[in-house]
Amino acid sequence: MAQTSPLKFAQSQPDHARAGAIMALNGMFDDMDALGVLRHAVTELLPADLAIVSSFGADSVVLLHIVAQVDRALPVYFLETGKHFVETLAYVETLKETLGLSNVVALRPDPRDIARFDPDGTLWETDPDSCCHIRKTEPLDATVSGFGGWVTGRKRFQTTERGVLPHFELTSDDRIKVNPLAYFSDADITTYKLKYGLPEHPLYNMGYKSIGCAPCTSVVAEGEDPRAGRWRGLNKKECGIHFDFNGAIAKPMAAQELNLYKDGKFIADPFRAWAEGDDPGSVRYTHIPLPVFLANREAVLANPHPVGLLVSPGDNVELVRDDLGRFASVAINFPGFTDGRGYSSARLIAERYGYQGELRAVGDVLADQVPLMARCGITTFLVRHEPTKKALADGKLATVDLFYQPVGKTEVPVGTRPFLRRAVEKV
Amino acid sequence: MYRYDEFDAAFVRERTQQFSDQVRRRLSGDMSEDQFRPLRLMNGLYLQLHAYMLRIAVPYGTVSSRQMRMLAHIARSYDRGYGHFTTRQNIQFNWPKLRDIPQILADLASVEMHAIQTSGNCIRNITTDQFAGAAADEIIDPRPVAEILRQWSSLHPEFSFLPRKFKIAMTGATTDRAAIRFHDIGLQATTNDLGEIGWQVWVGGGLGRTPMIGKLLSGYVAHEHLLAYLESTLRVYNRYGRRDNKYKARIKILVHEEGIESIREQVEAEFAEVKGGVLTLPQAELDRISAYFAAPQYELVNARSVDVAREKILNPFYGRWLERNLNAHRQPGYVSVTISLKPVGGAPGDATDTQMEVVADLAQRYSFDELRVTHEQNLVLPHVKVTDLPAIYEVLVKNGLADGNAGQITDIICCPGLDFCALANARSIPIAQELTRKFESPERQAEIGDLKIKISGCINACGHHHVGHIGILGVEKKGTELYQITVGGDATEKAAIGDILGHGFVAEEVPNAIERLVNTYIARRESPAEPFIAAYRRLGKEPFKEALYGAN
Amino acid sequence: MEILTGNELMSGATVYLDSAGTWVEELQKARVFGKSDLEAKEAAIAATKRTGRINSLEVETVTVKDGRIVPDRLREHIRATGPTAPVFDRQHLDEDGHVSI
Repeated sequence: MAQTSPLKFAQSQPDHARAGAIMALNGMFDDMDALGVLRHAVTELLPADLAIVSSFGADSVVLLHIVAQVDRALPVYFLETGKHFVETLAYVETLKETLGLSNVVALRPDPRDIARFDPDGTLWETDPDSCCHIRKTEPLDATVSGFGGWVTGRKRFQTTERGVLPHFELTSDDRIKVNPLAYFSDADITTYKLKYGLPEHPLYNMGYKSIGCAPCTSVVAEGEDPRAGRWRGLNKKECGIHFDFNGAIAKPMAAQELNLYKDGKFIADPFRAWAEGDDPGSVRYTHIPLPVFLANREAVLANPHPVGLLVSPGDNVELVRDDLGRFASVAINFPGFTDGRGYSSARLIAERYGYQGELRAVGDVLADQVPLMARCGITTFLVRHEPTKKALADGKLATVDLFYQPVGKTEVPVGTRPFLRRAVEKV
Repeated sequence: MYRYDEFDAAFVRERTQQFSDQVRRRLSGDMSEDQFRPLRLMNGLYLQLHAYMLRIAVPYGTVSSRQMRMLAHIARSYDRGYGHFTTRQNIQFNWPKLRDIPQILADLASVEMHAIQTSGNCIRNITTDQFAGAAADEIIDPRPVAEILRQWSSLHPEFSFLPRKFKIAMTGATTDRAAIRFHDIGLQATTNDLGEIGWQVWVGGGLGRTPMIGKLLSGYVAHEHLLAYLESTLRVYNRYGRRDNKYKARIKILVHEEGIESIREQVEAEFAEVKGGVLTLPQAELDRISAYFAAPQYELVNARSVDVAREKILNPFYGRWLERNLNAHRQPGYVSVTISLKPVGGAPGDATDTQMEVVADLAQRYSFDELRVTHEQNLVLPHVKVTDLPAIYEVLVKNGLADGNAGQITDIICCPGLDFCALANARSIPIAQELTRKFESPERQAEIGDLKIKISGCINACGHHHVGHIGILGVEKKGTELYQITVGGDATEKAAIGDILGHGFVAEEVPNAIERLVNTYIARRESPAEPFIAAYRRLGKEPFKEALYGAN
Repeated sequence: MEILTGNELMSGATVYLDSAGTWVEELQKARVFGKSDLEAKEAAIAATKRTGRINSLEVETVTVKDGRIVPDRLREHIRATGPTAPVFDRQHLDEDGHVSI
């Protein structure tokens, strides 16, 4: 399988021309033209250098059906974790047969890892991240390095943090990810299955909407997020394989807790903090510190990926006034809650510069400051303090909802005095 | 006086509930003390040496009879039967229990009072001339604008975590009785070329470790733009004020380090963006708020002068009280009366629950229900008919409030010092007590005339020692309290910071040292009409230095 | 020699750590830590912080004269007895103000 890529991927510096070319592909296909996307990838972009990983879960059949139309011999990797439902294993055989897939390969965990880390098979219970790591990430890592690109079945709608997902992506290790179903909705999947009479996963009609390993999958209630059944109660949302949005296949996302308070609920944060050694021209879903941005402005503006901006106390937001539109998210850093400079930065960005994207607070974000931050235009909160998380989750933030000052853009006038405002809704 | 409408009442009620919840979370362990401290401070709750201390806001020093009675109730029910009026025109209680605080705040809310922003690194209570709306030398009553500033600054989301506290003082009179040149921002009413009234803005004044006299930031800001101008100034301070060193975090240091021109440039640039926006104050709104502060229904009486000389012969105590404790009123036949909280041997600024009720009754009966707290830690009946003075005096005498010493050597400003305060290095109240005993004689006080002594128990200068004609600063040296004496300070429009003349004195030596200064003044003054501060300015340091330390 | 002192959360009253690990009102009952008690002192401070019930926790130096604990600082004398002017009794603990580590 370890074929040599026709493209030279081992460059130390990111190739902007290449990145630009890949990003440009995203405009070439209709949103719903999954077949066209995959065909282009297989025949033009990465001939003989593309593979697919499939979970053979509830929705996998749609992508595999498209694969079968393009190339039945495309390598399809299936993670045989040893923890699957018997129904899943049966389903693998069903699809191989129905769709004529000739190159389905099972990847198994290293027996030495199992013996060492999970001798009694209960690791999923105590440490699901590590369980995923030895059963999924490690086996895949070895395989993935041999390919120049991957086909995924990811869809924008699947979870909140997948809100933006293009057909083609360039990852930080210079691989191409192809997402033919990027624009498919839940309904599109169902329609597609019906249209082609594709076989359902045997567990699907029993209430399992997102199916992984048996111990970590539970039934999803009507109307619940389909992935809510995965790792239920374990405070974990992504297995670490798909992506952490930052690179191709990465280590398990130990920090993938639901820390980001947005639109009235906690979700997992697709962004990660800037780290020493990050390349501003190619990072993705990362808040680039304002001084780093200023020093690398051209590179960041040419970076094809979604990136954010980190504004710390002392940073002059005036200097980025005209570039704010470039950022998917601006994070106001409150290194200590008593440092109030972030409030001024937030007001300038939201009110004066009219920034429309996500404005979030990071750092020492505590219950009693959240209302002040919200008034200054901050909409999203990265929260680590447990009592604060609880207060927000329970909607029990002690607030004063009447204001003597005209601040922000969301408050509404109230009473007889010209400045009086009240909150439109609870934070 | 300003009266809450539904909005104000709901605001304070919500705030009280919010603080109750914060107390609950502190007690349940959801909040650490580190997290709770800034929140309780923003509700005026300190932890001092012996107990908690609750500081209650008296906005621009104005308080009604009903409110004063509630303060008496709080003193009696939750404290030890007294309260302490402060140099910020507030009142503080020294012994409340944490569990009672929510109820105290609820009680206060019932009379339109609160403790919001009496501490913390936010905009504090806005102070003003205690004779506002009454004084004969007033260009404009500053209280309507002060009330608007109070509202604008209450729980301001951008300015709740400033580098350090921020104090605004304002005066509408030509004589500065509010020490505006020693505040972070001082506002002085003025007129422009068209004769319209607006505000001079002074910035960067302050006392503490690094005393500074405020500098003129703007010569004229119209009423309608004042909020925008202040928001601009506060934003510059919030963004650029130092946060690396708490002792260098006040705006005075920013002004000092960057220079007033640079600060003005930054404020003006910000003002250019903010001006004319949502913070523009409509005249109608100013008029509406001003209506609350309309002059009371004075009786039309003939102007009547008080024959102090005659009264002095009849009753020297009453005569001296008339001579010292009255201030000229704009309304003929009326005066403002200072009620001294500086009895000989007392703690400056303290009043018992009974005294508070007595004063409330007097205000209700003789002063249109209104009282003032002065930054010199006294109380004022602002609108008193001259003919009512004897009756008022009689009540004051019965309640230990009749000292006729306003502005004299025993009318001492004094912080709580090491007897109460967690920051203090030395005691200050005992020094004040000793000095009042030393200069107890009314004849002696009259001979000395106007002389302001101000005492602080540490460098933070809550007792305003830098601006005392004679200032006393308590320090601690090798376990002993020492008192540094400064001379020549002035808090008025002739703003000056006192000069240190030499080494400090142990407590026992302080009264005699002060007496030597006083004797030097009396010996060297041109006439009894030349007050101490004028003589000091004319004579310079040397004679006073010699008085303290002897000839070289 | 040193003692541990602080203010109790509910009443704000001045309290001292005694030998039984209880925070009490009386200075004379305070546990005196010598130079060799460093570990015990650190442990007591850590345990006290965990209670969350003692604020303004401080280590104060004292000398012991004729069996009596005498604080080195005037501040501590005043904390132990109450204000000297005007004279007031010190704050006392309420029923629920008793903290042990």
